[in-house]
Formats: sequence, structure tokens, C-alpha cells
Amino acid sequence: MMKILVVDDEESIRLLYKEELEEDGFVVEVAKDGLDALKQVPLFKPDLITLDIKMPGLNGIETLKRIREMERQVPIVMCSAYGEYKQDLTTWASDAYVVKCADLTELKNTIRRLLRLL
Amino acid sequence: MSAYSDGYYLLKATIELSASSLPIETKLERILQSITDGFQSDRSLLLRPEAIPKEGFLSRVAETRKPLWVDEENLFREEGVLPEERDLLCKAFACIPLSDETSFQGIFYVGFSKGRTFSSGEVDLLLLLAKEIGAAIRNDQLHRVAQDHERRVSQLSTLWELNKALLATVHFERIVHMTLTAITIGDGLGFNRAMLFLVDEKDHVVKGTMAVGPNSAEEAGKIWSTLSQRKGNPSELIAQIESSTENHSILNSIVKEIKVPLEHEQCILSRTVLEGRPFNIRFPLDGEEWVQTRCERGCALSSEVGCYVSEHLSRDPRIYSFATIPLMGKGKVIGVILVDNLFNQNPITDEDIRYLTMFSSQAGLAIENTLLYRNLEEVHQELKEAQTFLVHREKMAALGELSTSIAHEIRNPLVSIGGFARRLDRTLPADASEKRYTRTIVKEVERVENILSHVLTYTQEEAICLKTLDLREVMEESLSMISEGLRSGGIQLVKVFSEQTPAVKGDYYQLKQAFFNLVSNAYESMRGEGRLSIRIHPHMKNGTSFVGVEVEDTGGGIDPEALHHIFNPFYTTKDNRLGLGLPIIHKVVTSHQGQIEVNNHPGSGATFILTLPAQEEKQR
Repeated sequence: MMKILVVDDEESIRLLYKEELEEDGFVVEVAKDGLDALKQVPLFKPDLITLDIKMPGLNGIETLKRIREMERQVPIVMCSAYGEYKQDLTTWASDAYVVKCADLTELKNTIRRLLRLL
Repeated sequence: MSAYSDGYYLLKATIELSASSLPIETKLERILQSITDGFQSDRSLLLRPEAIPKEGFLSRVAETRKPLWVDEENLFREEGVLPEERDLLCKAFACIPLSDETSFQGIFYVGFSKGRTFSSGEVDLLLLLAKEIGAAIRNDQLHRVAQDHERRVSQLSTLWELNKALLATVHFERIVHMTLTAITIGDGLGFNRAMLFLVDEKDHVVKGTMAVGPNSAEEAGKIWSTLSQRKGNPSELIAQIESSTENHSILNSIVKEIKVPLEHEQCILSRTVLEGRPFNIRFPLDGEEWVQTRCERGCALSSEVGCYVSEHLSRDPRIYSFATIPLMGKGKVIGVILVDNLFNQNPITDEDIRYLTMFSSQAGLAIENTLLYRNLEEVHQELKEAQTFLVHREKMAALGELSTSIAHEIRNPLVSIGGFARRLDRTLPADASEKRYTRTIVKEVERVENILSHVLTYTQEEAICLKTLDLREVMEESLSMISEGLRSGGIQLVKVFSEQTPAVKGDYYQLKQAFFNLVSNAYESMRGEGRLSIRIHPHMKNGTSFVGVEVEDTGGGIDPEALHHIFNPFYTTKDNRLGLGLPIIHKVVTSHQGQIEVNNHPGSGATFILTLPAQEEKQR
């Protein structure tokens, strides 16, 4: 079973993503911020990470850099309420960028594409 | 001459004539006539200094200032007589120099065809008469000088007052009008008409700005008679000028139409500006002074002004006299003043030109000041507008920022609300009445999300902005961003940019960043020595037009081990650098539907080849 790490500082989002993705058959673990995520990556060894950008402490972009230093290959989906981080070329080091939306279809399709499940 | 009484009457008549207010020429004519009559001589003459030849017996009289008496007792020795003097050699004659201690007014001559002897009484009387004639001439000269001085003093004081007035205002029209009026009023320089042309440095032309003067001789006459009635000191006159700045004359509108390119060196206006000196074009024509060439309009005057003016006033340009004076600003000619005496035909003297030049240098400064002031005002106005605009923009930006941050804050909870509403909706049986509620929540959340997207796209710039670009220019820009430290040293830069390079549709900033990364990687790989070749050229592939961008370095190439990873983010062989350079290039190129390839020669160098689709040519 594929494992997904959801990194988001908002509890309700974490809950929503976890429930939705588990329903789709993934094993989901959550991290509440960047530092938490860095701790979980080597333990949980996710197959994919969804990463919020605007978070207290270590933000998504810094977290992205740190994760890439540990794990070059793991697909990372940037998942933000802000579309303009697309202009920050650093986010290009991720594999996809999804603007948050109540309809999770785009996010789910992106995850399936990156995990070659489509 | 028979009796003393005759001598007395002759002397009395001469003194009376001399003291009269008649013009000097009439005065002298009548005095000579009365002497001729009194002495019953054949003729009496007055020879002015300029009429006396350099040699001959007259010049001896002039030099020695001693009278020459020739009669039956004093015979004339005909040595050194000039042919033109022969006419004066009568049986008896007298040549008496007219002079005082310091000056010489000429020679008084009386001639008799019959032989005779001058009595001592006659000699005394003629000497007395000569003294009186000399005094009359000297008086007249002094009177003229005094009159001239008086006029100049009056002019100077007017000009002084005007200068003061000029410095007191920065109103352009008023200053120009005052200047030109000062040139035309009798108490000023007294020209019939004055016109101002200013140099337009931007368009490189001399442009008619204003003209002051009557439209016709009748109007001129009317104005002069009014002026002569107008009394008052200069400052009062200036106040009158100031109050009448309206200028609707025909001449003014003619002059305002005139525009002469400075390159037209044959035109007197351009010449005055270019040579920075006055021209006095006199009538009647006298050789040298006459500017020979014709202007483009075919006017023999070689001045478009003369041409215009003569056309409009039905004047023959060949008999039109005028003068031009450069208007000096600080160290440069800012315009030309043209003056004429079209109506009274008074000659323009060099003295006039000197005064005009003196005055125009003051006026020039004042005019330049107002121009600068006007510039300043314009700039000030622009600044004010820019400030208002900036304040407005800042407000808008602040508003945008506020709405953006609110939009983002709302988006997260909306995701939860909408997301969970969907989940709830799915768990409800298809026929549950609550489905209406969940559907409503989902729909309304979607609506709010749409509104937010609109707000956000409105307040933020588009991430990618496609424009028609010339990649050669983009590359030049990128090269200019390369730091001095990298560029200096032993690296030779070879650019081969094809003229036929087609345009590309793309995002300027992204491509600039990509090229910058490519070029700075190449520079860094060479460590200060080698050759960097950049080639940009058109490239056809499968019938489609592309632009090829090649960057070739001699930096030793890429380690074959690493070659597979170079486009991976964060992969780098350089220390202290996040390995994003090549991934960014890759992402930019692919997002522009282009391709990137590497020709790697380990040990010698690497060539990166980018191909970007050319913009489709529009049908012409």
C-alpha cells in the first residue's frame, strides 16, 4: 500500500485529507509543520508528500529543500492556498503544485499521476 | 565793399541767421548768399573737411590753418595745384580756414572774376564772417551730439527701468511682450517693428514667438502721434506696456507661423543663431553687407522673414532693410530679435545695434529665466501628478494586499467546509432529505471559491506573461547581469547571433533567468580561463521553425556519472550552491514547449543546446 505524508498546519485540513486519501486506499500520516515533517520522513518513508507552504516555523519551501537533501526521489506536491508561490522558482523543485480547493479531485488526480496509478 | 555800414549789416545778418532755428544747411546757404551779395563776389563756397583733397593748395590751408589771400598785390604761385582745384583759381580769391583751437570745420572760399585788392577792412570783415560760420557749424554739431546724448540717456533709463521690470516677473508672454515693446517705443530703441524667434533645441528649429509693431503705415502714424502725446517717466510707460499684453496684430500671427530649421544656414535667422552675431541688412544694398544667397522660398533677401513680411505687406524684398540680433541666454544663443524701420525708413545704425545688443543680453537672461521657470513649473506639475498617481496606486496596492490576505485566510476554512460537506453528502443515502443541505453547502462554497479566485487574479500579476521576444536581446540582457568578477579575467566571449533569428513567444523574465543560469554556469565551469561561445540562429525541424540557442564552454565538461542528474533539483557539483540552475532552465524551456540537450565532452567542455519554437509568422 502506498504511503502519503500530509504536511499542513491546519488541523481540519489534515483531517480532511487523511480521511479522503485513506478512503482512496492510501496509508496516510500527518505532520503539523515543517520540522514535524522532517522528523517523520525517515521514519514513515512516504511514497508521496503533500506539502503546505505557509506554515509557522519552517515554511513549505524551506521544508522542500531539506526533504530534497534527504530524499531526492520522493514525489512532492506543493499544496497551498496561495497560487503566487508558483512564481518562486524554488517550488519548481517539487513535482506538482496544486492550489487548495474544497473539491479534492485535482489533488487526487495529481497524486495518482505521480504514483503512476492512473 | 564800399562802406562800413554795409559791413555792419552783413555781419548783423550773418549773426541773426546763425542764431536762427533754421536747419543748418539752409542757414549756411543763406549766409553764403548774403556774403556773395554783400561783396558782389562771383561765388562763395563752404568746403567741408571731407571735400578737401589730401594734396593741393586747399590742403595746405587746412594744414596750416592760415588764410590764403590772392589779389593784385598777392599773386598766387601755381605750384602743386590739383586739376580739380583749378576751377577755384579766380583773379582774386580768399580761402579762410574755419577752426578753433581743437577742431576744423572746413574752408570758407570767396572768389572774384575781376582783379581787385582786399582792403584791410574787408580782410577783417571776412575773417569775422568766417568765425561766425565756423561757430554756426560747431554749434550745430554740439547740438546734435547733445540731442543724441539726451536720446541715449533717455533710452538707457528706459532700458534700465525695463530690466528692473523684466526681473520682477516670470510670466513668459509678458516678458516677451515687454521686451519687444521696449524695442519699439520711442523712448526705448524706437524701431518700427520687433519680432522674437526662439530656438527650439528639441526640434532644432528657430520658431516665431511674438511680434510687436503696427500693421500699416497709417496705423504706425496713429500710434506715433499717440505716443508723442503720452508723457511720463519710463516706469509709467512700462506700467502701460504691462497692462496691454493682448497682441492680436496681423504681424504677430504671421511671425508665429514662421519656423526655420537651424540647418538652413542660408537663412538669416539660422545664421544669427549659429554665428551668434548681429546682422545689419541695409538698404540701399551695399555689396558686402548683402547676404547673397537665396533662401529656399526663393526670397532674394535670404530670409524667410523678409520673404513673409514682404509678401504680406506687398514690399519688395530687395529694398527691405532690417537687423537681426542674437538673444543670449547663459552662454548660448536662445533666440533672435529681428527689427526693422519699415514705415519711416530710418537707417539702422551700428549704434542702434550696440544698444539693442546690450538690451537683448538682459532680455535674453530674463526670457531664459522664464523658460526655465516654465520648465520647472511643468516638471512640478508632472511630479504632482506622479505623486497623486503613486498615492492612488499605493492605496490600490494596500487594498489589494488586504483583500489577498483575507482571501487566503478564507480559503483554508473553505476547503474544510466544502471538503467535509462533500464527505457528508457522500455518506447520506441518495433519497435523504438532508442531501439538499449538503449540496447547498458544496455549491455555495464553490461559489465563494470562484469569487476568491477572481479577487486573487485581479490583485496579482499573472505568473507567466507571454510576449514577442527577440532571444538575442534576452541573451544580451542576461549577459549584462553576469557579475564583474565572473566576466573579468581570461575568458574570451564569442557571440554569433544570426540576423535571421525569428521572434519567440515567451516570458521575458523566465527566459532571462534561464539564460542567465546557463551562462553563469558556463563561466563558473571555466574558472577564469577559456572561451565562451554563444550562438543564436534559426533552426528548422520537421518543417517547423525554431530558434536555437547554443552555449559552449571550455570548462572541462560534465562528469559522466553526474550527467543523468543535472536536471534534478538540488543536484550540484559546486559547493555552497543549491543545484537549481539547470532544473530551472529545464523547466523554463519545457514550459515554453522547447527542448534542451547537452553535448558533453568530458575533459574539454560542454555545449548546451536550447531549441525554442519560433513565433508563427503573421500573414502579411
